[in-house]
Amino acid sequence: MRTRGAILLASIITGLALGYTVTNIGFGDYAELNRMFTFQDLRMLLSFAGAVVIVVCAFALLRVRRTPGRIHAGVIPGAVLFGTGWAISGGCPAIPIIQIASGYLPALVSIIGVIVGMRLCRWANGRYFHLDRGSCGL
Amino acid sequence: MSTYWPWWAGAIGLALVTINHTVITDRSLGVSSAWDRVVHWRRERHLEQMDEEFTDDQALAEALAAATAEHFGTGTGASTMTQAPYEESQPLEADIEAAAEDSPAVTNRRPAPLVTQAALLISVFLGGLIAAVTSGRFHLRYDMGPGFRDLVTANPTAMIAVLFVGGVLVGFGTRLAGGCSSGHGLSGCGRLRPVSLVATAVFFGTAVVVSFLLWKVI
Repeated sequence: MRTRGAILLASIITGLALGYTVTNIGFGDYAELNRMFTFQDLRMLLSFAGAVVIVVCAFALLRVRRTPGRIHAGVIPGAVLFGTGWAISGGCPAIPIIQIASGYLPALVSIIGVIVGMRLCRWANGRYFHLDRGSCGL
Repeated sequence: MSTYWPWWAGAIGLALVTINHTVITDRSLGVSSAWDRVVHWRRERHLEQMDEEFTDDQALAEALAAATAEHFGTGTGASTMTQAPYEESQPLEADIEAAAEDSPAVTNRRPAPLVTQAALLISVFLGGLIAAVTSGRFHLRYDMGPGFRDLVTANPTAMIAVLFVGGVLVGFGTRLAGGCSSGHGLSGCGRLRPVSLVATAVFFGTAVVVSFLLWKVI
């Protein structure tokens, strides 16, 4: 078991490194993101894919435990909605934060949208859809 | 020429972030999960407080066994307990089941404390700010830059509407899918989880289709 202090420190370091890295890769730049999604420039796509390959190898070497993670009912509709939102607003959940940090003040609207969307999801799914929402296991 | 990092530097950076977080915290990295817990902080705090009351699993198991014995008038020795007060309980249970095969110690793993999720989000902002300032890209703007202006809209009202709708879709979609580009894309794909591979393929594929349809074709 990791202590609360260790997890807190790790989260702070992770956040700092993540914000620094994704900003320097260019994920907060809408033009760069669009060039990735339309395959005009593969630099960011290769960054992401390369990271996944390194992580797969590292997890195998470090014997990080495997989790089954069955394919739940919410994954396809949720991923479609997320992909649509990412393409039109330019922000996955971490990106509006670094957009504001880069000075793009309207990204605050994206953050408000994310908060509204998350509350709406929990409310609507609990009341109407009753889909299994799964978790990436944080 | 782009002033951004080359692809290999980006790949190494993202990989190191993911690996370090996983190894140090024994938990997957997931920004949308952190958002979700911070957004619903009242409920999460309440659950944490309930959780803390039952921190001592052994004491709880003994209390349950004693209560059962008292109720039925026999010593059952029952000590089976499912600790899953959090809403995302099903996959966590699945995680725990899988972990039990590898390491009994992991069965005690609980969600990361709420305060660490808030710290993660604040740190992402600070990390982004440091990167923007040190690279000379920090400029206060009331728009989303030339890329958004040229490809989407230059109208301020339309810009606000697009950002809000996009944000709602991202928030709704990531929670319905159970993760985002960091949780499913990096951590989940890094573990070769089928659900994460499917989620990543679908959200990335959708983003490609929407980008072509909206900004390239129309």
